[in-house]
Amino acid sequence: MAHRRPDRTLGPGHDEFWAWCDKQELRLPKCQACGKLAWPVTPRCQQCDASKFVWVQLSGRGSIVSWGTFVQDYYRGQMATPYDTILVELEEGVLFISNPDGFGEQDISPGMEVSVRFIDCEDSAGPFRLPVFCRSS
Amino acid sequence: MSKTAVPPTVPELSRAASIVGLGETDYGDDYRAQRNQPEGYTPPTPESLTKIAFARALEDSGLKLGDIDGLAVSYLYGGPSPAEVATMLDLRLRHTMTVHGIMAGPIPQVCAAIADGKCDTMAVVYAVATRSTGRTFGGMSAHPDEDAVPPSYYYFNPWGWSSQGAHWAFCWQHYRHRFGRAEEDLGQVAVQLRKNAMATPQAVMRKPMSIEDYMASRFIVKPLRLFDMCLVNDGGICFIVTRADKARDCAQPPVSVAGWGKANVKMDKLDTLIRQQLRPQCQAAGEQALQMAGLSLGDVGHFEAYDAATMHLVNHIESHGLAEPGTALDHFAAGDFAPGGRLPVNTAGGMLSGSYMHGWNHVAEAVHQLRHEAGERQTPGLEVAMTSLAQTDQVHPIIFTRGA
Repeated sequence: MAHRRPDRTLGPGHDEFWAWCDKQELRLPKCQACGKLAWPVTPRCQQCDASKFVWVQLSGRGSIVSWGTFVQDYYRGQMATPYDTILVELEEGVLFISNPDGFGEQDISPGMEVSVRFIDCEDSAGPFRLPVFCRSS
Repeated sequence: MSKTAVPPTVPELSRAASIVGLGETDYGDDYRAQRNQPEGYTPPTPESLTKIAFARALEDSGLKLGDIDGLAVSYLYGGPSPAEVATMLDLRLRHTMTVHGIMAGPIPQVCAAIADGKCDTMAVVYAVATRSTGRTFGGMSAHPDEDAVPPSYYYFNPWGWSSQGAHWAFCWQHYRHRFGRAEEDLGQVAVQLRKNAMATPQAVMRKPMSIEDYMASRFIVKPLRLFDMCLVNDGGICFIVTRADKARDCAQPPVSVAGWGKANVKMDKLDTLIRQQLRPQCQAAGEQALQMAGLSLGDVGHFEAYDAATMHLVNHIESHGLAEPGTALDHFAAGDFAPGGRLPVNTAGGMLSGSYMHGWNHVAEAVHQLRHEAGERQTPGLEVAMTSLAQTDQVHPIIFTRGA
């Protein structure tokens, strides 16, 4: 069953990120001019202001930098509280906010290694696949 | 000039203008009235709050209505236009302007307008009915009336992640593991600011708070608790700002605007905020402000900083170089940041226990302190105060000095 989630940001560029997720690939836009990875998706490179990107596949591996548990129900019941969130430093250097899958805050220590997987979700725009992270084996 | 732009940090603008009048609304009384809803209660509006703050500021300054020839308005969540405020307050003006809502630019912009000869004496008004209008933060709340909300405020919604609170929760989680701090350690910030609010007549929260009370408060985004988060309340503030030469004849000791700075996070926001604690931005903007003022950090005797969360204040203190990284909580525990301590910080209770006035409250307290009128929370012999507004991606310090 698909998990109900708060709405994604959609539109040019953003749609491409989610389309790759649907294929279970974690890809981010890489600036063609300077090589910097963009996240969140932006129309212009924040480092060199160029506007051409190529979508590169990431390893999907990373380590946990920080984490927090949402106890307050910010999303008015769209997600059952409490739930955990993590900040993952991807191998390629990007910091990526996500959710832990198959473990919880009590299991986390800084630097813990994790790997991406995709879970079936839906928001008001329809079904999609969400990148989350499980413990690296 | 855009609403958030800051005038150049040049010595010619240093001490060109002074704050000579201050009016604040009754934050605590208004908060309790809103909660208790006594019979005949009518919620405050930006207009009603403006009228009160302006009348008090004018009276405080000793000036007459006809002396005010400029007006700057700041209504973060909407309010009347400058022309409507001028009519409401019966002002005849040479210059009006709309300034940014939070304390990121308004005071420097007003000083530049005065230095430019657009007017001599300006009323600078800010008001928000944040609580009465039921404003919420985080989640799917829309903020169409704010300029340029950072993408991190909404982009991670599909993972259930948003709110300023979550930013600071990630900061604290990272910090406490990096420096080996306990949960109780952060509580020292909340407890000290509550003590400060108890010595501030108009503060919202004046009930004593112990570390046990702090630890018993509910989690919002764990590891941050309710008492780590700032208040939501209604209020207004008005400053009367005049040209330096005119300030010397006013009723109150003038408070000069000596320097300011500005730095933004241009990229890698989460890394800059969570791992670097905004240190590059604080250092750059702080240096601009001090250099403009012709002062050094060691001259600063009182520090007021935007405390959306306890951790946010720790961030400011360490990143401006007022404590070594990882030590601010020890200094809080030792009373170094208390009134009478080595460097008093957020002496009116900040936004955590005093009043959530988006950094305007911090400037108001700097004025009280520099006038030496802060009563039991007064910093003895204070000559230089520093305020620092920072959000998750920008830093705006101001240096204020006593005298004109």
